[in-house]
Amino acid sequence: MEALSDNYLMARVRDGDPDKLGLLYERYKRPLLGFFIGMVHDRELAEDLLQNTFVRILKYRHLFRANGERTEGSDFKTWMFHIARNVKNDHYRKKKLPQEPVENWYDRIGHSETRSAQMQLEDEHYLLQLAMGKLPAEKREVLLLSKYHEKKYTEIGELLGCTESAVKVKVFRALQELKLIYQQLEKNH
Amino acid sequence: MREKELSELVVKYNAGLAKPDELLAIEKLIENGELEITELKSLELLAQHIDRLTDITPTIEQDGRFYEMLGTEVAGAKSHQGSTDTWNWKLFLPRFAYALSLLVVGAFAGYFISHPETNSEVKQLTQQVADLKEMMMVSLLEKESATERLKAVGLTQEIADPSDKVTQALLKTLTTDENVNVRLAALEALQAYAKEPHVREGLVRSIAKQDSPLVQVALAELMLALQEKSSVSELQKVLEQKKTPKEVKEKIKKTIDVLI
Repeated sequence: MEALSDNYLMARVRDGDPDKLGLLYERYKRPLLGFFIGMVHDRELAEDLLQNTFVRILKYRHLFRANGERTEGSDFKTWMFHIARNVKNDHYRKKKLPQEPVENWYDRIGHSETRSAQMQLEDEHYLLQLAMGKLPAEKREVLLLSKYHEKKYTEIGELLGCTESAVKVKVFRALQELKLIYQQLEKNH
Repeated sequence: MREKELSELVVKYNAGLAKPDELLAIEKLIENGELEITELKSLELLAQHIDRLTDITPTIEQDGRFYEMLGTEVAGAKSHQGSTDTWNWKLFLPRFAYALSLLVVGAFAGYFISHPETNSEVKQLTQQVADLKEMMMVSLLEKESATERLKAVGLTQEIADPSDKVTQALLKTLTTDENVNVRLAALEALQAYAKEPHVREGLVRSIAKQDSPLVQVALAELMLALQEKSSVSELQKVLEQKKTPKEVKEKIKKTIDVLI
């Protein structure tokens, strides 16, 4: 469906039909918010960063270039995550905050009303969120990008400026460390 | 690595018995494409678990903010299309009033600054010396010899608090001087005043006017250091110019990628 592909919609936005950005927002608001919450551990801030990402997409829409005839959507998505990472990095740079994990961050993302139920029903799920929060920012980012890019390591490599095989090694190391943190949390739980 | 050894290593890893050197060997195998992470069961389970983590839907307030922003943009796009050839007084009048009020405030401020009763003679003398230096610098910038003009640019470092006249002269040099070294020196001198909005604007405006790759790259680096996002359009113009060398294009592309 070329008429509904990410690249087609973004090209329309670029060429004077900004209304089409609404469709892209609906398509990507949840993954982007998930990415930001995973990175900054603060729902309110994550929503600000989500908004800023779309503001920046609109502002720089004239720079969007879809490669050739490709319509599967990977171009826009990579471009969007590139902007999202810049928005996140700019936030840390402006505030001069370290990108370090925060203790008990899961409580701060607006889950308080559902947390106890979730703990009972999905204890593992809760522990995994905690373990992710304890991972260094770089490793957490590579795992989140891996999730939201459906493990397309070439695209992640484009974002991180490294090769596909280097991304695989990064993912391996991140998962390896996550496993150790998770096991430790499980012991103390 | 032979298939048997590889499968033994994987079995060992999955049983949680891999030693540090074996972990390094696994890393190498992954890097070489001989082993996929999906074959390491415990990690694959963890990865699948991450994929299942539920995404959170933005609040209604956030959706509202987005659509408000988009609505403004859509309205802007439509009014731009519909009124390109008519003068919009409704838009112009408040701007005109604002500009006029700035002019009046500026005139009053200028009057009071130039007539401070408390100024000591020493202050007056210091100011006169600074004014002389400024005059000398501006006249030296007009000289034919590039060395003289370089000297003039160097003089700005001796002026503690240069006036707009100096920064404007430097910006003019940066944009129009025929000598690349003088332009580079002017750029270096201007870096000290980059916090001034009019200097930043001047720097941004000069980007697309540069024909020297050295100055183009230096300006791109400065824009990056200043995180000057308003420079993106001007950098894009350089990128689109056919005569821009490939290396400069690469540098500018990287700069744009970081700025946007």
